[in-house]
Amino acid sequence: MSASDDGSSSPRSQLCSQVFGDLLDSIIVDAASECHRIARLGLDRNLEEEEEELRLSAQARVADPSSSSDGNSKNMVDIFGQTHPAIASEIFDCMNCGRPIVAGRFAPHLEKCMGKGRKARQKTTRSTTMAQSRNSRGSPISVYAPYSTANSINRVPNGGSSASAEYKDYAFDEP
Amino acid sequence: MRGSVNRPPTPDVDDEPQKEPTLQEIINIKLIESGEKEKLMDLLRERLIECGWRDEMKALCRSYARKKGRNNVTVDDLIHVITPKGRASVPDSVKAELLQRIRAFLTSAAL
Repeated sequence: MSASDDGSSSPRSQLCSQVFGDLLDSIIVDAASECHRIARLGLDRNLEEEEEELRLSAQARVADPSSSSDGNSKNMVDIFGQTHPAIASEIFDCMNCGRPIVAGRFAPHLEKCMGKGRKARQKTTRSTTMAQSRNSRGSPISVYAPYSTANSINRVPNGGSSASAEYKDYAFDEP
Repeated sequence: MRGSVNRPPTPDVDDEPQKEPTLQEIINIKLIESGEKEKLMDLLRERLIECGWRDEMKALCRSYARKKGRNNVTVDDLIHVITPKGRASVPDSVKAELLQRIRAFLTSAAL
C-alpha cells in the first residue's frame, strides 16, 4: 500500500470512501426507520391527515344535538365520547349546614351558608361582633363551626342576647 | 424423526479452507474494537443534523408517504427513496472532515 495518497484513486482513499459510505448507509437507514415510524404512527401533521382530522372533529361536534358555540367545551363531546350538561346536576349534602344541594348551585349556597363573599342577609348583632372579637384572640374552642368563624352568618340563634355571657356558655346556648 | 429438521451438517473440522478476511473486514473490525467507528458515526450524525441534511431526508420521506398513503410505506421503500439523494447531498466539508479522520485512523492502525 502506498504510503502517500495519490488522490482519490489510491487504494487507501478508496478504502476511506468505503468506510465513509458504510457509515453513511447506517445513518440513512436510521433516518428512514424514524420517518417510517412517524408515518405509520401518524405523528407527522400531514396536510391530508389534518384535513381528515378536521372533518372528524367537525363530525363529533355535529353529532351532539345541543351543540352551541365553539368555546363551550361543556356541550362538546370529550375524548371519551361523553357529553356533560352546562350546569352540574348531581345532588349532595352540604358539609356545613347539612342540606341537600345541587352541585351546580353549591358555590352561591356556600357564600350564604358560610357568610363569605357578599354580606347579604347578615345581621350584625352584638352577639356576633363579640364572637368575632373573641375569635380574633385565637380561642381554640370551636364546637359550633358557624359561630367560630371570623365572619358571622345570618343564622342568629333566638337566644342571641345571651352573648354577653362567657364564650363557653355561649356555645352551650346554641340550639 | 431424523429427517424432521432440515439442517446442513455441522462442519466438524475445518474441512474447507477458511477464506481470508478481506481488508475491508479487517478495517471494520479494527474500527469497532477500538471504538473509533462509534465516534465517527456520532460525528457524522451530528454534522448531518447541523447542516440540515437530516431534515431534507425527512421531508423526502414525508412527501413520499403522502403520495403513497402513510400506511402503505415500508422501511425498504424509504431507504430506496433516500439513498441516492442522500449520498449525493452530503456537503463536501462534512465528507472531507470524515475522510480525514478515517485516513488518520488507518495510518495510526498501520494498515
